[in-house]
Amino acid sequence: MKRRAALAAFVLLVLAYPLMVRGSYPLSVGIITGALAAGTVGFVLLLGYAHQLALGQAGFCMVGGYASAILCVQHKWDPLAALIAGAAAAMALAWMIAAPILKLRGFVLAMASLALHLILVVVAFETAFTGGALGTYGVPKFALFGLPLASDLAYYYVVWAIVLAFVLIGLAIDGSRIGRALKAIAASETAALSAGIDIRRYKLLMFVLSAGMASVCGSLAVHYLRAMDPNVFGFAFSLNFITAVIVGGLETVWGGVVGAVLVTGVREMLRGLSLPLWEGVIMGALTVVVLIAFRRGFAGFLGALYERWTSRDAPPRVSIAEPDNAALASHGKPAALELAGVSRSFGNLRAVNNASFHVAAGSITALIGPNGAGKTTLFNLICGYQPLDSGSVSYENRRIDTLLPDDIAELGIGRTFQNLQLFDNMSVLENVMCGRHRFVEREAASRSRARAALAFVGLRDAERLPPSALAFGHQRLVEMARALALEPRLLLLDEPASGLNDAETERLAELVLRIAALGVTVLLVEHDMRLVMGLADHVIVMHHGEKLADGAPDDVRREQAVIDAYLGIEEHAAA
Amino acid sequence: MDLSVFVQLLLPGLTTGCVYALVALGFVLCANVSGVVNFAQGEYVMLGGVIGASLLAHTGSLALAVLGATLAGALLGAAQERLTLAPVRAAPDFIQITITLGVAVVLRGIALIAFGKDPLSMPGFSGDGVFEVAGAVVPLQSLWVWGASAAMLAAMFVFLMHSDAGRAVRACAINLQAARLMGVDAERLTLFVFSIAGATAALAGVVVTPIVLANWDAGIAYGLKGFVGAILGNFRSPVVALAGGLGIGVLESFAAGYVSSGYKDAIVYGVLLAYLLVRGGVFVFGRAALLSR
Repeated sequence: MKRRAALAAFVLLVLAYPLMVRGSYPLSVGIITGALAAGTVGFVLLLGYAHQLALGQAGFCMVGGYASAILCVQHKWDPLAALIAGAAAAMALAWMIAAPILKLRGFVLAMASLALHLILVVVAFETAFTGGALGTYGVPKFALFGLPLASDLAYYYVVWAIVLAFVLIGLAIDGSRIGRALKAIAASETAALSAGIDIRRYKLLMFVLSAGMASVCGSLAVHYLRAMDPNVFGFAFSLNFITAVIVGGLETVWGGVVGAVLVTGVREMLRGLSLPLWEGVIMGALTVVVLIAFRRGFAGFLGALYERWTSRDAPPRVSIAEPDNAALASHGKPAALELAGVSRSFGNLRAVNNASFHVAAGSITALIGPNGAGKTTLFNLICGYQPLDSGSVSYENRRIDTLLPDDIAELGIGRTFQNLQLFDNMSVLENVMCGRHRFVEREAASRSRARAALAFVGLRDAERLPPSALAFGHQRLVEMARALALEPRLLLLDEPASGLNDAETERLAELVLRIAALGVTVLLVEHDMRLVMGLADHVIVMHHGEKLADGAPDDVRREQAVIDAYLGIEEHAAA
Repeated sequence: MDLSVFVQLLLPGLTTGCVYALVALGFVLCANVSGVVNFAQGEYVMLGGVIGASLLAHTGSLALAVLGATLAGALLGAAQERLTLAPVRAAPDFIQITITLGVAVVLRGIALIAFGKDPLSMPGFSGDGVFEVAGAVVPLQSLWVWGASAAMLAAMFVFLMHSDAGRAVRACAINLQAARLMGVDAERLTLFVFSIAGATAALAGVVVTPIVLANWDAGIAYGLKGFVGAILGNFRSPVVALAGGLGIGVLESFAAGYVSSGYKDAIVYGVLLAYLLVRGGVFVFGRAALLSR
């Protein structure tokens, strides 16, 4: 509904604006605003969705601007073909620099894109084919399929039609598994990896897409200005992008449109007041103030206003249904895991030392040991969050110790975390749908599978709530449902009972048994001895990073070394 | 290769390199203590230059100009931290970093309005004389730049190695979280480091102005070139950051002299991009690349 209302308002305003104003000046402002909006819509995808700052976005506008100018003037290309060629070149360039650089941490891409932009400026100044400092003149008016657009009014509508197309692309991304993956990355990279989401891939995708849209912005502007020189898209233009999407709103692509209008409006107003020098201060101050005090931006404000007007239904009540055993079908054959000589040190601390064990297919295996025994480290090694110093991890007779966490999840290894890692920016249902990421399927299918996983853990009625609205024990169940949605054949549970009361722990034990019955091998780290001894059919005891014992629960319980190291102390303390 | 040409390029390179090195050091200190890469770092150099030059023009006192510029840098650095970063400490990184960029834009804008579009000049501290080294002619002011930089670096070294606050900064560099748990007062330390970074950058800006002029839009270039130094040291090592900053200055000067002055920026930024591409592993795939970060 909200989306439709926004689209209707957009189309209406775009159509009505030329009718409401007189003369060519407001129309030219409308065209320039539209060209900017084409770029800022893409920039929302980059900054708002992928959380990557780029300081040199105007560099990609230069690529588009020069492609249009040079191809149309010197090679007599069709303007539309030149626009597309420019966008393709910008996207290729973006991919070439970002693919390696996004592997680096920190905000290196921001500076790298600025460096790229400044290099392009120098090249534009110094080379002959760009026209040097004078630039390229006589760029023809834009044309569609060979038909030149004689009037500015026609061009205005074409520019805004392109903006609309970009908005629709953005909205489609927002509502797809890509949008969900980006939200997941924004909320918790660790958890996103566990759901099989390749972080770099999606950030790269957004950077490349935003570069293409920036290039189109450059082409559209140049066909209106009819000339291109190295100063058209300077650093100030990159700053326009940043200010626009922040003031407009980072949460939706509409923020890009709203921001482009606001930024152009402020600039025209300052010109009207003969205060053009104030542009920098005002834009910068707006950026800072909005980021500190109104982080949702103007589009977020409009959205909240709309919701207040239209929402009448009370917030859904939390009622927890009985777990539905039939909700999930068998996952097929459970998988086996084999560790051989696994070691990992942090500085002088040997967190895991030469650990070897076998997790039999279909078993419920428990990994126990006192605090600092290396259990969580071992989990992280198995799931690829940390590299092994030596040894090997095999899943279904296949080495997985060189794989990344998201690749490991994609093989069907699910995990939960000791400290809950839910995506607070999504509903419970969307959280679980993230677990479906490795399956390329229709949204409806993904939704119904996620619902089934929620029904299986007994959270059928909580799907519309944010996870933070649930009790702690239920949040744990959401995490379990997310891991189950991945249809794992091996599930790793990191202290699933911590923070649960007795009744909840009992229900957890039942749930684990039901999960195992689905054909899932379960490996769990746990402190609660009653739970472990009642549940596990195989126990591995770790102590000071080394494996102390390995066997059936009753055998392990009798081993003197285990009693000394762990059980004895615990029972003694309890007594 | 002609030695005098070599020296004629090397020495000015070292002069601007000193400024980049101090900016790089500011980046490293701020990033280590607050976790934020301060994109406004280069603007403090610019501000030092324009404030110093106009103070000198209005008061005629060099001492006042230098002191005023340095103090302004310290105060603005502290104000930036208190007003724009302290309120959003819990916000995601990209928000905090974008805020520092907004601050940079505001500082540029203020400089433009207050000091105008035209570059400001300043006479050398001990006249506009020159001296000769190995056939190369160098402005006397270079000695001031080198001396001031060396003094600031020495002070910084003593601070980092021999004071409690300096130890705290080094602890933060190794592990920010652990340092906070060990009772490092991150709030105060962050404020302190931002004002130090602002002051050193501004002082560098005022000392170098007699040689390069002070211009409202020079901040980005200082920031970006200092950033190159900081990233060479992986935002951790102050020593590598320093060497990197100096190296960038020399590289820039050689590029201008031996290749073309039009392309000098493209060459410096090209080196940055190439370095990042190699570090990011154009030739490294998969796990090794991800885990090395």
